Amino acid sequence: MSYPENTAAAQGLALCHTCGHLDPAEIHHCSRCGGALHLRKADSLQRALALLITAVILYIPANVLPIMNTQQLGKGEPSTILGGVVLLIKLDSYPIAAVIFIASIMVPVSKLFALFYLIWNGYRQEPASAMQCTKIYRLTELVGKWSMVDVFVVAILVALIHLTGLLVILPGPAALAFAGVVVSTMLAANAFDTRLIWDRIKENND
Amino acid sequence: MTEITGQTHTACEECDLLIAVPAIQEGERAECPRCGHTLTQRPRQGLERALSFAIAGCVFFAISLAFPFLTLANGGIENVMTLPEASIAIWREQDPGLAIIVFVCILALPIALLAAIIALVTPLILERPVPWLPQVGKLMFKLNDWAFVEVFVVGTIVSLVKIAKLATVILGWSFWAYVAFAICLTAAISGLDRLQVWGAIEASKA
Repeated sequence: MSYPENTAAAQGLALCHTCGHLDPAEIHHCSRCGGALHLRKADSLQRALALLITAVILYIPANVLPIMNTQQLGKGEPSTILGGVVLLIKLDSYPIAAVIFIASIMVPVSKLFALFYLIWNGYRQEPASAMQCTKIYRLTELVGKWSMVDVFVVAILVALIHLTGLLVILPGPAALAFAGVVVSTMLAANAFDTRLIWDRIKENND
Repeated sequence: MTEITGQTHTACEECDLLIAVPAIQEGERAECPRCGHTLTQRPRQGLERALSFAIAGCVFFAISLAFPFLTLANGGIENVMTLPEASIAIWREQDPGLAIIVFVCILALPIALLAAIIALVTPLILERPVPWLPQVGKLMFKLNDWAFVEVFVVGTIVSLVKIAKLATVILGWSFWAYVAFAICLTAAISGLDRLQVWGAIEASKA
């Protein structure tokens, strides 16, 4: 594979993943910190895609199963992520409904689509604008963590509500699945190498 | 053209453009001319800032463990929740996977990150060479991706609003200490640039 002329890879130089030192790729280990050297992240697209598919699969139980179970006077009332948003709207807590809707539904869904789009462009011979893809990538990295909000809300509610047996909140299976979605999309974004997209662009089409 | 080595050149992490190492002053930032990615920056007194905020962060972290995090008042009953209980309560409800994720994201990993910052920056400031510096450096930059402190703060606020209709919730000392801890952690990290820190680690060996 040949790399565009102005890149470090074209000179056989690789940036260390760990410390950012530039070294000839043929020495395999960074001369400064000993970290592994690769011209491009190894199997970037396959690994990113595998992690992304994991996230998509986990996303199903995360939404279908209850994220928490409110038990009141012996009666159990399971609620899903979407159900939680609907309930908050009914209670007129619009700002919080918006936070949960953005963090638990909008961000993860758009992240899944964004990552698919990026990986697809990584495979294409002539990808969309590299600058645009890089911007999408930066955004995915930036918002990645914030979907964890809902998991933490469950953790706090479970710990806080022990109202002398009148009301008990139990964590539902969706909470763990959802945490899995967040972690695997973060790992997928980590595995994705934006340089692959810059490698495919023609010199005249920056 | 002079010879291209790791001493004279670097490459952009996101687009792999080969660039001569930018000479920057304190307070300046160098970005990739092609994709705009921040190559390196030299925060004013970055190491000193990182160390002082990391030490302050440790103090706030200790406070956040020792006092009530949230207090729930309903009629005459008061239910006090401490910070570790966010994880312990889930463990008791037979969901160890979720309990471990919460524990790692909000407690174990953030404090390990602060400890790593202190262990890394102290020898650099004192200019005292220690053999394990590269290992701590690697650990520090890896942990940095996985601290969810600010997300947990937002999660707490969302939970408050969710319970507000049921009972009165009082924010404890521990909550405010955790907010201060989150601020200190962010401020400490903002003093550390990957290339600058690794340059300092390399210089300390000589």
